[in-house]
Amino acid sequence: MGSAETHNQSREAVLARIRAALKAQAVRPEPATHSPVFPPVGKDLLATFHAACAANLMELVVTRSWDETAGALRAALTSVPTGEVFVEDAPELRQSVDSLETPVRWSSKGIPQENAVATITGCEALVAATGTILVASERGGRGGSVVAPCHIVVARESQLVPDLEAAFAHLRAESIAERNSFVGFITGCSRTADIEKIIVIGAHGPRRVVVILQMDS
Amino acid sequence: MRSSAAAEFLRKAAEKAADVAHRQTIRRNISSYDLSVGRGKLRFSDWEEARRRCAEIKWEAINHLDKYLLEFEQKVQARGGHVFWASNAEEARQYIEDLVTSRGVKLVVKAKSMVTEEIHLASALERRGVEVLETDLGEFIVQLRKEPPYHIVTPAMHLSRADISRLFREKLEGVTSDEPEELVAAARRALRKAFFAADVGITGANFLVADAGMIALTTNEGNARLCTALPRIHVAVAGIEKVIPRLADLALLWPTLATAGTGQHLTTYNTLIGGPRQPGEQDGPEEFHVILLDNGRTELLADPEQRDVLHCIRCGACLNACPVYRTVGGHTYATTYPGPIGSVLTPHLRGLEGWQHLSYASSLCGNCTSVCPVRIDLHHHLLHNRRNAVEKTRHGWLENVSFRAWRWTMMSSARFGFAGRVGRFAVRFVNKLGLSGTIIDPMRTWTRHRSLPEVPRESFRQLWRKRHGQR
Amino acid sequence: MATRIALFIPCFVDQITPQVGLDTARVLERVGCSVYFPSEQTCCGQPAFNTGHWDDARPLAERFVRVFADAETVVCPSGSCTAMVRNFYPELLASSPLRQDAIELGRRVFELSEFLVKVANVTDVEASFPHRVTFHDSCHALRELGIRNEPRELLKNVRGLELVEMPASEECCGFGGMFAVKFGAISASMGDSKAENVAATGAEYVASIDGSCLMHIEGVLRRRKDAARTIHLASVLAQEIQ
Repeated sequence: MGSAETHNQSREAVLARIRAALKAQAVRPEPATHSPVFPPVGKDLLATFHAACAANLMELVVTRSWDETAGALRAALTSVPTGEVFVEDAPELRQSVDSLETPVRWSSKGIPQENAVATITGCEALVAATGTILVASERGGRGGSVVAPCHIVVARESQLVPDLEAAFAHLRAESIAERNSFVGFITGCSRTADIEKIIVIGAHGPRRVVVILQMDS
Repeated sequence: MRSSAAAEFLRKAAEKAADVAHRQTIRRNISSYDLSVGRGKLRFSDWEEARRRCAEIKWEAINHLDKYLLEFEQKVQARGGHVFWASNAEEARQYIEDLVTSRGVKLVVKAKSMVTEEIHLASALERRGVEVLETDLGEFIVQLRKEPPYHIVTPAMHLSRADISRLFREKLEGVTSDEPEELVAAARRALRKAFFAADVGITGANFLVADAGMIALTTNEGNARLCTALPRIHVAVAGIEKVIPRLADLALLWPTLATAGTGQHLTTYNTLIGGPRQPGEQDGPEEFHVILLDNGRTELLADPEQRDVLHCIRCGACLNACPVYRTVGGHTYATTYPGPIGSVLTPHLRGLEGWQHLSYASSLCGNCTSVCPVRIDLHHHLLHNRRNAVEKTRHGWLENVSFRAWRWTMMSSARFGFAGRVGRFAVRFVNKLGLSGTIIDPMRTWTRHRSLPEVPRESFRQLWRKRHGQR
Repeated sequence: MATRIALFIPCFVDQITPQVGLDTARVLERVGCSVYFPSEQTCCGQPAFNTGHWDDARPLAERFVRVFADAETVVCPSGSCTAMVRNFYPELLASSPLRQDAIELGRRVFELSEFLVKVANVTDVEASFPHRVTFHDSCHALRELGIRNEPRELLKNVRGLELVEMPASEECCGFGGMFAVKFGAISASMGDSKAENVAATGAEYVASIDGSCLMHIEGVLRRRKDAARTIHLASVLAQEIQ
C-alpha cells in the first residue's frame, strides 16, 4: 500500500494548517517544579516487588538455582490443564524446561495456538514499585505473553529495576524499543470492571500470571 | 432560536432527570470510581505536581505539533509502517475501506477507540460487508444492544448485571446466571474465536510517541494485545493531538491516566507498537497503518485561548466529576464525547451554531477543571464557548435584546432601584392573586421546579438609606 | 481596629434578600469595622458575563471599578460576586484602560468569611445560634476563591451551634444562574440531590456564603416539603448572644 503515501494529499494540507495555527502563541501553563511525584522506592527491591505482586494478584516464586527454577515451573504447571504449553525459545528457558516431562511448543516452531493452556517466557525487566513485567517481541513474540490463560515468566534478580522511570532508562540503554516492534508492560492479570464496576479477573488475556524469580548468587 | 440538537437535548435531559433508577445506577458506579481514585492518588507523593508535569508535557507536544508528528511519521515508516494523514472523517474512512476491500477482509476485531466512534467507522465497514466485532467488553455489550457507548472509559456504565445477563442469554451461548464471572467468560469465549479468525485488528492510540515512532495502548482486558498480535493487518486511528515527545514521558503519563481513569496505578496492559512484524520476529501483523486524523483539530489548535483542549488524554475523569453528567448520563449529549470535555470540544468539531447548547448546560461549578489530570481549564472554556456563541452565531435575538436592556438599567443606580421596585411589586402582586406558576407569572420558569422566595417590600438600599441617610 | 469597609451588596441580595446585607454590616461593625455603602453600585455584571454577553458585562465591570476606586477594603456576602471581580475582571477587561485598576481592586475585595478570618484575624464574632446547621460549599467560593475552612471556623465558634457535615457538601446545588431556568429539570434534579444530603444530616438549617445557592436550595426544600431551611452565613453570625 506504498502508493497511499503518494495519494495522501491531505498530508500537506494538515501540516500547513498546523503551522498556520501555531503562529499564534498559547500561554504556557503554571511551571512544574520537577520535585518527585512518587514516594521513594525502598532499597529492598525484592520485598517491594513481592508486595506489588500480591496487590496485583500475580504469583511470585523465588528460587535460588536452575534446579529450583525447574521445580517451580513444574509446580506451576501442575494446576494447568493438559494442552499446548508454548515456550519462548531462549537458552535459559531451554535449560529449565528440558528437564520437565511436559511436551512444549517452542516459539521457534510457530506461534501459540488458540487452545494453548500456558505460555512461558522470559522478560526484559521487572519493575519493583508497580509489579510490572516488561516484555517485547523477542520474548516469545507478541502473543507469547497474552494468548493463554496462564502466563509464566522466568526472570533473574538482576532484572529487577526500581520504578517506571528506571524501566524506561533500561529500554533506552538496551535499545529495546528500536529492536522490537512490540514492547509490553504487564501489570497483573487480565481484568475488566465493565459490569457494574465489579472486577472480574481473566477477560481476554491470562487470568493467572506467575513470576519465577531466580536469585543471582 | 434553538437547534434541533438543543431541543432534543432538553427533552432527553428532562426525561433522564426524572429517572431515579438511572440516577442511582450512575451515582453508585461513580461512588465506586471516587473511592478507587481516592486510593489511587495516595500512590503519588504529589498529585498536583504530577498534574502540572503532565500539563507541561502536553503543552510541549501540542505547541510543536508539526515537529513531533513528523518525527513520529518518519520513525514509523522506517520500520515499514504506513502513515496516512486524514483531513476529515470521510478521508479516514475511505482509506480504511479501500484497505479492507483490496485485501479481501471479512472480519475485523476492534479495540475500544473513541476516535473510531467519531468517524463512524464500524457502520461504514459493515455497509461494505465486513463484520466488525468490538472486543472491549463494555463496547461489545453496547454493540449487541445497538447503542452508542455511554461513557468514554466505561461504555456500559448505565447497565446492571441483570440487563447484561438478559442480553447475553439472547445473543450468546452458555449463559445461565447474572454472575459477572460467567458473563465475562461467555464474552471471552465468543470473542476468542474472532481474535484468531480476524483479518484486521483496529485500535486507537492513547499516545503517539514521537521519539520512538510507536503508538501506546492502555487497556485492562488484553483485547488490544490480541488485536495487534493475531490478525495480519493492524490499523491504528488517532487524533493528531495524541502525540507526545518522548517514550520516557509515559513513566508519568501512564500512571496519571490510569489513576484518573480508573483509580489504578497502572492498567494491566500498557503496550507499545512501532511497526509490522520485523525481520526475525515470530509473530505480529504483516502490515501496520496509522491514520492521523484532523477532523477539526487544527481549527482548535488555531485558537490559542482554547488550544489546551487538545491536551486531553481521554481519561473520563471530568465526566465522573460533572453533576450534570451524573444527572443526565452519557447518551443525552448525543455526541461522541459527552461530559465536560465533550461540551467544550464538540462545537469545535461539529460547529458552534448547532452545539452551543452543551456549553450552556452547565452550572459552571468547575469540578471538571479541578479533576483534569492535564489541567485543562474546562469550565472557563465553557464560558468562552458561550461568549463565542453570542458574538459569532445567530444566538437568540430575544436574549440579546434582554441583556441590552438589562445593561442599560444597571448602568444607573436610580434605574436599577426603580426597576427593582417595579419587579418586586409585580411578583408580589401576582403571588397575592394566587397566579404564581401560571402563564402570566413572570417567574414561572423558576416556579415550575422550585418554590419562589418571599419577595421583600423594600430593598437593601432603601433600608440602608432609611437608617443611615445617603451614606 | 476601625477598618473602613465599603459594602459590596450583590444585586439580588439588594432586591430579594436585603436582610443578608444588613446582617453583613452588623457583623462587620461588631468586630470593630466602620462600614459604608457606596450607593452608586448596581451589579458586578456576572449574569451577562456568564451567559456569554461580555459586551454587556464589560461596561458594568468598568462602572464597578470606578464606583469602588477609592475604597480601601471591600467586603461582599457572596463568593460568586467576589470571584467575578477578583478572578474574571482581568480577563473581561483585558483590553480596557481600567484593566490594571481592576486587578488592583481584586486584591482589595473579599468575601465576608475570608475577610473576617484572613484579613481581620477574627474567628469568633460573638454570635449565638443554638441549632444544628450543615454547610453547603458554593462552587465559586470553593473552586475560584479557595474558601473552605473560613466559614467553618466561624460557625464553630457560634454559641450553641452544632455543625454537621453533609455528604457531598462540595457538589454543586444546581443553581448556576441562567442554567437554573434554561435547564430547569437538570437544575431541579441537582437541587434534589443536595436536599437529600441536607436531610441526611437532620440539620435544621443549611448555611452557605452564597445567597443564590440558598435561594435555589430553599425553593427545592419547600417544594419537597422538607423541614430544613436555608440561612446565609452573615445571618447566622449576626445573631447576637442574648
